[in-house]
Amino acid sequence: MTQQTVSRRTALQGLVAAALGAPGLAAAQPAGAVNFIGWSAAVDQVKLHIAAFERDTGLHVNYENFPWAQFRTALVTRLVGDAPIDVAWISDAWLPEFVEAGWLADIEDMPGLKHYGSETSAYCNQSMTYKGKQYGLSYYGDHMSFMVNTDVMQKAGIAAPPTTWDEVVAQCLKIKAAGIMEYPLLLSLGADTWLIEFVSALSFSFGGSFVDDKGDSVMGAPGGGAVAAAKWLHAAIHTHKILAPGAVETVELNGLRAFGSGAHAFTIEPTYRIRSLNDPAQATAAGKIRPALMPMGGAHGTHDTCGWIRFYGMTPAAKADRARRERTVKFIEYFGGRDTHGDYSLQKLLLLDVGLPSCAVPLAQDSAVQGFWERWAGGGAVIAEQAMKARKKDVISPWFGEWVETSNQAWQSICLGRATPEAALGAAGAKWNELKRAFR
Amino acid sequence: MGLRLSYDDRSAAVLVFPVLAVLLVVAAYPILYSFWVSLHDIVLTRPLRRPFVWFENYERMLGDARFHTAVLRTTVYTVVTVSVVSVLAVGVALLLNETFPGHKLLNALLLLPWATPSIVNGLMWKWIYDPTYGLMNAVLVKLGLIESYRAWLGDPDLTLLLISNAAIWKQMPLAALLLLVTMKAIPDDLYRAAKVDGATVFQRFVHVTLPALRPGLMLVLVYETMISIRHFDLFLIMTQGGPGDASYTLSWLIYVETFRSLRFGTGAALSYLLAMLTFLLSWLFIRFLGEKTA
Repeated sequence: MTQQTVSRRTALQGLVAAALGAPGLAAAQPAGAVNFIGWSAAVDQVKLHIAAFERDTGLHVNYENFPWAQFRTALVTRLVGDAPIDVAWISDAWLPEFVEAGWLADIEDMPGLKHYGSETSAYCNQSMTYKGKQYGLSYYGDHMSFMVNTDVMQKAGIAAPPTTWDEVVAQCLKIKAAGIMEYPLLLSLGADTWLIEFVSALSFSFGGSFVDDKGDSVMGAPGGGAVAAAKWLHAAIHTHKILAPGAVETVELNGLRAFGSGAHAFTIEPTYRIRSLNDPAQATAAGKIRPALMPMGGAHGTHDTCGWIRFYGMTPAAKADRARRERTVKFIEYFGGRDTHGDYSLQKLLLLDVGLPSCAVPLAQDSAVQGFWERWAGGGAVIAEQAMKARKKDVISPWFGEWVETSNQAWQSICLGRATPEAALGAAGAKWNELKRAFR
Repeated sequence: MGLRLSYDDRSAAVLVFPVLAVLLVVAAYPILYSFWVSLHDIVLTRPLRRPFVWFENYERMLGDARFHTAVLRTTVYTVVTVSVVSVLAVGVALLLNETFPGHKLLNALLLLPWATPSIVNGLMWKWIYDPTYGLMNAVLVKLGLIESYRAWLGDPDLTLLLISNAAIWKQMPLAALLLLVTMKAIPDDLYRAAKVDGATVFQRFVHVTLPALRPGLMLVLVYETMISIRHFDLFLIMTQGGPGDASYTLSWLIYVETFRSLRFGTGAALSYLLAMLTFLLSWLFIRFLGEKTA
């Protein structure tokens, strides 16, 4: 006779499931279901694609979504609690942390998914790879873009967008002198999840990095690019007064709205925001916003920017079970690759409807995609050139989630003039090294 | 010899047991378990390790610069909020204790801020302080007190005071009502006797009203201190601990450690430190203010 044992966790899950009617738990799910969890973005498009997937494959999808701001915590608590998740949207920033925690399964032995690597941009492939193994297919890939309001530039008699951060200062001062606006530059430096992307883009454009090749902190090094970027930021607020001191209160979404209102000449925004910024239903400055290459800063400046990707990651539990694995592979391919008709239908829909750039190389030749960039960005050449100069955040590590709060505080202290760039970034660097040592 | 219980004792035990059992499950167990958690180095993103570290989390936090900042910010916020709430509440209670046309309407209106949900209160004040469309900027510019709109919450020297102002607006009505109830219980004879003795209005307030208010005032001080020292929602909605570390209070630090950094061990240790601080302050109030009241 086989003795069956029930673990305490299983017993508790059963108890809770019974008490709550278990709408989201495995016990109540139909056979052949894929459990997918994402954040509350492009919900309508995702639901539409889920309906198509269910129709084409006969599989059912249990779809849950949470606001982005709480998503990491919500996902981690579910993973810790062994919730029945098959596939989730994952940020590249969490990849090492999740792999080390044993929450993501690689797709190296899944040729049906792996072959998409040849159709995916190199940057996206790298961003889904950790310690030589790939962990999913892309949801979208984007980068921070420098954006200009051509209307304001025209009013100030400025012919071309700035190519260096010194030129940004000069053009802003010209706009101020013309009495057009008090703060021509807008940067969203509020301490939300986007701040690290903003400051990374700025630091990269000053030729800087936060860590060296060995992963040790160099962010506080005097004369380094990060410190130079921080000094420029401080001067923009306190010396040139081209950037409002209230920038530390402005989170990305509020910055987007403010720039869309036409109250500023220059900003840094995720590229996918270009669609809403040029949509007359969403922005009064619509039609006037254009992308430009990230300005270069200092003697070692580049046009580099910060990029990121989000991707579909499979859980080890789904991979370990053959039936779940097959269903999940189908789902990931249908959503992150081509659908059963051989089209990148979701990737295309997400770009056309929401503005989310795709990692799929073949889509760049699609006439609808080219028409999209022409309509919303005045052409795709600058965006394509900037995409080639996108670098992933060099602080992505297993301890990134524990460190980033310290970094946000350091950058805000610099903006407020409460700490020197060397001291603030030095302290953030010390915390980085401490966490790195503790991880070993 | 075994313990012999009467029928009444046994009946009482049977009746009390369900409540006691529920309390043990929903209160005692989580409290004890969170203490156990505070003795471990638990980081949710490292599920494969959770070493028992004795009081290392407490030690680490007590030596952490962020903790010192948080204690300072919490102290400033609590002192300002509790002081202003108490003083204003005494004034409002004195006003409401008088009979004048419309005093009943004023009584009802006073409850409005208290009845407003915390989230709504936070959002309302955040919008009032907004650097682009905020009412505060509009009024101050109209009055000629400032030349252009300012980012009030972005000013680290003002942030705590502005959050405190939002808290005072919400918390003061309840404190005033508590004091009003105490005030209503003061016998009129005391005031009449004081008048006969030639006491002025101010002297009657100092020598009659204030001593009689002491029990109500103690209640207000203890309650407001406990609320303020643990206040979280306004910080989450209005500033998220910023700008920089300008509104980095103990509650915010606990939130960051627990739900952002997912360090449950240090988060639990900080929670215990905050709980101990709250108990200590409450005990001090009761010990010293309560003694004089008795």
